[in-house]
Amino acid sequence: MEPEIGNFETEMNRGFLQILVLALLEKDMYGYSMVRTISDLGYVVEENTLYPLLRRLEKNGWVRSKWDVTEDRPRKFYGITEAGRALRTQLLAIWKKQDEILKHLMKETSHV
Amino acid sequence: MFEKLEAYLEEISHFLSGRGEREEILSEIRSHILEKAERESGPLTASSIGNVIAAYGPARRIAESYLEGREIIAPAYRRYLFRYTTLLFAAHAFLTIAAVIFKENFIFFPFLFMPRLGVIDAFMYLPTAFLTDLGVVALILYFITQSKKDVKLPWPKFSVDLDEVKAPKKAVWNILGLIPMLAVTDFALYLYVKHQTIFFASLDFAHPRPLFTPDAGARYSLIVIAMFAAGTLALLVKLFTKSRWVDTVSNVVSLALIGFLLRQPFDHPFAVSVPEPFLPKIKFGLKFALLFIALMVTIDLIKNLIHIGRRRLAR
Repeated sequence: MEPEIGNFETEMNRGFLQILVLALLEKDMYGYSMVRTISDLGYVVEENTLYPLLRRLEKNGWVRSKWDVTEDRPRKFYGITEAGRALRTQLLAIWKKQDEILKHLMKETSHV
Repeated sequence: MFEKLEAYLEEISHFLSGRGEREEILSEIRSHILEKAERESGPLTASSIGNVIAAYGPARRIAESYLEGREIIAPAYRRYLFRYTTLLFAAHAFLTIAAVIFKENFIFFPFLFMPRLGVIDAFMYLPTAFLTDLGVVALILYFITQSKKDVKLPWPKFSVDLDEVKAPKKAVWNILGLIPMLAVTDFALYLYVKHQTIFFASLDFAHPRPLFTPDAGARYSLIVIAMFAAGTLALLVKLFTKSRWVDTVSNVVSLALIGFLLRQPFDHPFAVSVPEPFLPKIKFGLKFALLFIALMVTIDLIKNLIHIGRRRLAR
């Protein structure tokens, strides 16, 4: 029987999505374009998860935003800040460490 | 064409807080929904907008995702809501009972004014007092949560933890409690039938010397026997049911009997010689002891009521 991973997946996605967004915003983007880009990369992000995350990142100063009203439809563009870059570096280091630990463990258990 | 979208945004707005922030959030969602509908289904139609809205998710869930991490009361403080309300309400209930028994006003300036109350007034007053206590505690915990400081809230160490809701005792413990209670009640009844009192100045039952005058002795004895009987009956009923209502009713009966006892006149009740200067001290000591018992019973009563309330909420 397949185990129910719904909640676990959500928890894992939460951390990954933060790194993903901080990596993506090296170039200014708006919400819908981010959803599309992430989707093209083979990963699915729900809009109702992305926007609140962007808002939290912005409140903490890791992301900045600006409304663009030059076109027919106003769009809110996001970009990473210096603090956001520093955070991304730290998060990537943690993620790399976690990945190494897991790989090491999986290698060990594969011998058992 | 946009009615559905406006209704959806209005619904999200209903669940959001903070006017400026709310408008920005709604603008962003509006922009996203329209762009997605247009990009994925061509020219905008009510149907294409409706499909995007359906995929976006229920309004309340959307609003909650923005409110994440903004608790009114932090999880670490939630247990204190019940703890402090229990304590505050116990004090409130105790003062209410005292106001009814002694027919006096109590003023604890500037915190509390307890007017002289009748029994019916008290029953009307207590639910309001409970809601006020709950509100005051919730407000304090709200301010503590919003301050974002790690406040270590004090909690007195009682011999009985008010917050701890124990499972009902096993039947064997009830039986072990019931046997001595039954014996004491029977013995008290036997003494009362034989001597019209259960209070004696000496333990020589061949030549008993009643402690109180016949009238006072009979009154005090009947009330105390009724208290014993109520306790015994509660233990007996608990052999057949684990309902907390049994304890609750027993607590209420005990409080009523203590109140009745406190309202009995205490003018020269002794049949033995007691020096006049000691009478006020004895009277004070007895009242203090009875009020202390009343306080303990009140705390137990509130614990039982909270336990019943929690179980109902859990259901």
